[in-house]
Amino acid sequence: MSDAMLVELEGVRFSRGEKEIFQGVDLRVPRGKITAIMGPSGTGKTTLLKLIGGQLAPDSGSVRIAGQDVHRLPRRELFRLRRRMGMLFQSGALFSDLDVFENVAFPLRVHTDLPEAMVRDVVLMKLEAVGLRGARHLMPAELSGGMLRRVALARAVALDPELILYDEPFVGQDPISMGVLVQLIRKVNQALGLTAIVVSHDIKETLSIADYVYVISDGQVMAHGTPASLDVDRDPRVSQFIHGEPDGPVPFHYPAPDYFSDILAERTGS
Amino acid sequence: MSLVQRIAALGRGTLELLGSLGRAGVFLLQSSLGIPSREGWYLWLRQMHFVGVMSLAIVLVSGVFIGMVLSLQGYTILVDFGAEEALGQMVALSLLRELAPVVAALLFAGRAGSALTAEIGLMKATEQLSSMEMIGVDPLRRIIAPRLWAGFVSLPLLTVGFSVVGIWGGYLVGVEWLGVFEGAYWSGMQGSVGFFDDVGNGLVKSLVFALVVTWIAVFQGYDLVPTSEGISRATTRTVVYSSLAVLGLDFVLTTLMFGELG
Repeated sequence: MSDAMLVELEGVRFSRGEKEIFQGVDLRVPRGKITAIMGPSGTGKTTLLKLIGGQLAPDSGSVRIAGQDVHRLPRRELFRLRRRMGMLFQSGALFSDLDVFENVAFPLRVHTDLPEAMVRDVVLMKLEAVGLRGARHLMPAELSGGMLRRVALARAVALDPELILYDEPFVGQDPISMGVLVQLIRKVNQALGLTAIVVSHDIKETLSIADYVYVISDGQVMAHGTPASLDVDRDPRVSQFIHGEPDGPVPFHYPAPDYFSDILAERTGS
Repeated sequence: MSLVQRIAALGRGTLELLGSLGRAGVFLLQSSLGIPSREGWYLWLRQMHFVGVMSLAIVLVSGVFIGMVLSLQGYTILVDFGAEEALGQMVALSLLRELAPVVAALLFAGRAGSALTAEIGLMKATEQLSSMEMIGVDPLRRIIAPRLWAGFVSLPLLTVGFSVVGIWGGYLVGVEWLGVFEGAYWSGMQGSVGFFDDVGNGLVKSLVFALVVTWIAVFQGYDLVPTSEGISRATTRTVVYSSLAVLGLDFVLTTLMFGELG
């Protein structure tokens, strides 16, 4: 265990029912950097974040954060460790019965004894950083998708965590909010010096902010390296993914019987 | 299906059932034990409003009607034997021992139980429970515990309310409308209703029902598959399982409490 690494996964295996999602994933996330985990949809990227956050337990292997084995911690300790992490969910996952201000104030209220005036200051600072100080009285249902994610980001950094996990931060965003989010993630990282893990399949945006990239496919780490090194990677699977080619080693078609005989089967078979 | 497959399916079903019972048990212990913080009391009070106070209208209105019907039906039978003086006793005993705990629990399952399941299920589906976990707050303590305790406390109170208005409904029909002697209505009740045997046992029943119904509702919400279909199934299951559990347990409890009274 080196101090330079905040998160370390070793030989993580995980299966859901019959389906094996990870077959021994090794992954190291350096402190203070943005590490991207990329891969086609359905490769279990969100599952990987849940394993890191301790919401799911691996079948074997270990996940260590700052030297602590996440899945060996007692429940209480695990919740204590999570105070040092923030997570941005794909849907934002704001509490729908609280307004924007109270959502951002929530971690402060439950984990600190700050006086109300200071809670207010901190919340307004965080909201200002994501440009939504003016939206503090709105309810989550009144926000657009991009705004939801920005509020969620403000909430995730409310306690100034060491580690922040982003689950598909760019999915379903219009170009403007996409740009805003890319800039925010980079800015938050630089300003707070925190460690970030970004799970995404939006290649351009993710490569533009990541310091290091892991590409996951078929339950294993397929490639890893800096964005520049992956860009020139010769492996056809990596190249297909990084350059967004529709067909290649990852086939366009879901496995199916021969097209021609499949079409004819209906007429001859029935 | 071959015999072996049938046996395998039976075994699988049994294992699934046991697994789910085990999860439900651990869930109940983890969420209901422990000393609430000051904020915990506030959260509990809010749930008391949502679960208890908001169920008051349906429970009380049903209570009045059931008391009225009971009185009317009882009168038509008792009057044949010239025993309409016993109307108060009949109304009070049937309400306290059986109808109030059972009907209030069934209404509670429909009104509050289904709402709890849907609310928690939607929180799960929109990742609010997950995000709370990641903020470092245990949703079992913050979301589940106040709802469980609100259910445990409010159903017995609602049951008491049901009995009170039911007896009043019986009075309206029996005394005010059908002309049973008022003194007989009340004194018959006073003479026959035992505090521990009738009021107490009715309360014990409603405590048991409160525990079971709230537990089922909250667990179904927490354990559901987070899709719209999953939420709809879990909500239905809450009402079906709670109703069956209440009726089944009522028979068991009645046998234990009143079986030897005959």
